[in-house]
Amino acid sequence: MKNIVIQLANVNKRFGALQAVRNVSFEIQRGQVCGFLGPNGAGKSTTIRMIMSILLPDSGVITVLGGSALDAKDRIGYLPEERGLYRKMRVADFLRFMAKLKGISRSDADKRIRWWLERIELPSVSQKRCEELSKGMQQKLQFIASVLHEPPLLILDEPFSGLDPVNRRLLSSVVRQLKENGTTILFSTHQMEQAEDLCDQVLLVHKGEKVLDETMNQIHGRFDPRTILAEPSNSIEAATQALHNVADIESFRWSLEQKAFEIRVAQGVDTQLAMASVMRATPLRRVELQRATLDDVFVTLVGGSVGEIESAQKSGKLQATHD
Amino acid sequence: MIDRGAARRIRAIAWRDFRYTALTKSFLIGAIILPGVMFAAIPLLPMLIGSTSPPLEGKVVVIDPSNSIANALEKSLPKTPQDTIDLEDGGPNSGPTEVALKVESVPDPARADEFRLQLRNSSLQALVIVTPNTDGPSIELLVPSEASPRHTTILEKSLREAVTRVRVEQAKENYERIIKIMGRAPIDTLRVSPDGLESKENAQLRMLVPAGFMILLWISVFTSGNYLLTSTIEEKSSRVMEVLLSAASPIELLTGKLVGQAGVAGVMLLMYGGVGLAGLGAAAMLDVVPLPHLLWLLVWFPLAYFTVAAIMVSIGSAVSDLREAQSLIGPAMLLLVLPLMLWMPIVDNPNGMLATVCSFIPPAAPFIMILRLTAANEPVPMWQAWLAVLVNVITVAAILWAGARVFRVGVLMQGKPPSPMELLRWIKAR
Repeated sequence: MKNIVIQLANVNKRFGALQAVRNVSFEIQRGQVCGFLGPNGAGKSTTIRMIMSILLPDSGVITVLGGSALDAKDRIGYLPEERGLYRKMRVADFLRFMAKLKGISRSDADKRIRWWLERIELPSVSQKRCEELSKGMQQKLQFIASVLHEPPLLILDEPFSGLDPVNRRLLSSVVRQLKENGTTILFSTHQMEQAEDLCDQVLLVHKGEKVLDETMNQIHGRFDPRTILAEPSNSIEAATQALHNVADIESFRWSLEQKAFEIRVAQGVDTQLAMASVMRATPLRRVELQRATLDDVFVTLVGGSVGEIESAQKSGKLQATHD
Repeated sequence: MIDRGAARRIRAIAWRDFRYTALTKSFLIGAIILPGVMFAAIPLLPMLIGSTSPPLEGKVVVIDPSNSIANALEKSLPKTPQDTIDLEDGGPNSGPTEVALKVESVPDPARADEFRLQLRNSSLQALVIVTPNTDGPSIELLVPSEASPRHTTILEKSLREAVTRVRVEQAKENYERIIKIMGRAPIDTLRVSPDGLESKENAQLRMLVPAGFMILLWISVFTSGNYLLTSTIEEKSSRVMEVLLSAASPIELLTGKLVGQAGVAGVMLLMYGGVGLAGLGAAAMLDVVPLPHLLWLLVWFPLAYFTVAAIMVSIGSAVSDLREAQSLIGPAMLLLVLPLMLWMPIVDNPNGMLATVCSFIPPAAPFIMILRLTAANEPVPMWQAWLAVLVNVITVAAILWAGARVFRVGVLMQGKPPSPMELLRWIKAR
């Protein structure tokens, strides 16, 4: 219990006719990086706002750092989905103000502001007004505001959206560094690569309901891979002809990127048997089962309604090898 | 009991709101320098107005079969610009005016239409038609439609004096002697303070003092209330609100903003009040503002501020832009402008039924009570003053409570503004 940083139990939230969050429960352990995924309007930001005690749940219990987030605001860093700054304030003044709200002394705040502006590659903006910064710079500035007080819990709502690849990579490295320093991080994102790269745990919500809550290892194990990568040792044409005659496969295509065939195994067929069939059909230099990516899991799980997902799981479209 | 963390956050928010309102160039120019210049220009206004008066020159035709009024009018017309001020006895249109009129007497009434035509062409300044009656002549003064009111007043008063002159002369009396006998006796009214100081009575100033107190309260409270409204709307529209709410609770945020803007209102009160007192001091008229008046101002200032501020901040939190705010402010403003509309009757009769009833109608009550308490002619019963304070303390508590509940819900709302029924639901929400 002491290691649980965030705990939600049967949390519900309704806005008029819309049930934004439905009976959601989960826990996040100390030091974990948890990706909070879901399509637009799935209830991620509402859940995060309830965790932050900005919104109150209609029912259910939320515990953050052993109590209410209201009592732990100084120990939580938060980057909201909607970016907001005082446009007329100078960058250093804005950060000092946020630091003061979080209980950091002026001299300490100034040192940290200088360090973070360097770290995030914004060294010369401290005397500029916030409105003079580009959108990406403003986003990085807000990120600094959320980590300036070195919180043990960091909640980031879409931290990578709107950033160019260079800044996305920069922010990823900062998040990774914070993770190494023991910060517990919950972040929502649409960037599956980032989530796969950074997360220990993944929560997936869809239409207000939790549809997935597992570690990355569990996800890789749970979702049976259905794609075989096969690099032929003979010509592509000959291999293509040979693959047409394999009964256990549903479809295949040549991947220029992988320099191999991506072969989709037919429904209900054991992947090991299908791999053996492919090897019998054509000589191969390399053959492997492609790991299910988070992207695949996301698309599969939220491609239909929750009912459809359940029926898909029952029909074997999503084969769970572990529970 | 507020814990240290909450107190620190409230302080930080209050200081930011104060600093970015009161310590800015726009505040210095808009709220201090411009009104200061206007305030300083008030004593110059009569001079500026007086100096712009055009001269009264041209021809006046008097159709008078007896020829007596025309002669008397010539004698009664002001000879110097200073005479026009004396003629008007310091009235609203008084001011030095150059008068160079030629009076032409026409005995034949049949020529009236001829001169009416000239009047329409503006080749005449005025046409006076005297009709003899048994109980004295009746007089018609005709002036062109574009004639200045000040010129008309000079002509009317000169004519009146001319008629009196004719009457006196017909009674075989000396007009100058009679005027000297009937001249207004100079009386200096002096007010004696409990410590024996004597000061000159200034009735007009004494009427203006309550209005000064009320306007001082109104301007300081409404300027900061307006800043509160616009800053809350700006924080909502720039989405900085959620960042703030991640660091402070809605109540801490609301309290910080209210305290910060109270500082702004206090600065304005001190600035304007200080300038006013300095002006009175320079004119040796500080006695028109006794100490109890200032103490009452200190009692009513926080009550007026927190009433208006809580209304403004809740409206700011409920809407997304200023245009939407106008529709919600309307009903509250109706009550808040009441003191401005009722200033004269309340100061005239501070213990009348109207004044007494209005003293207990929030949110106008603080402004009405300061009018009543500073009106010099009758003291307000103390039980009424303290009952009004009690009513307002309860009102402020209720408005702050409701405002906090609206604020809590409203700050995260975007889209169309709430209806009054929705606002009620927000207040009742858990």
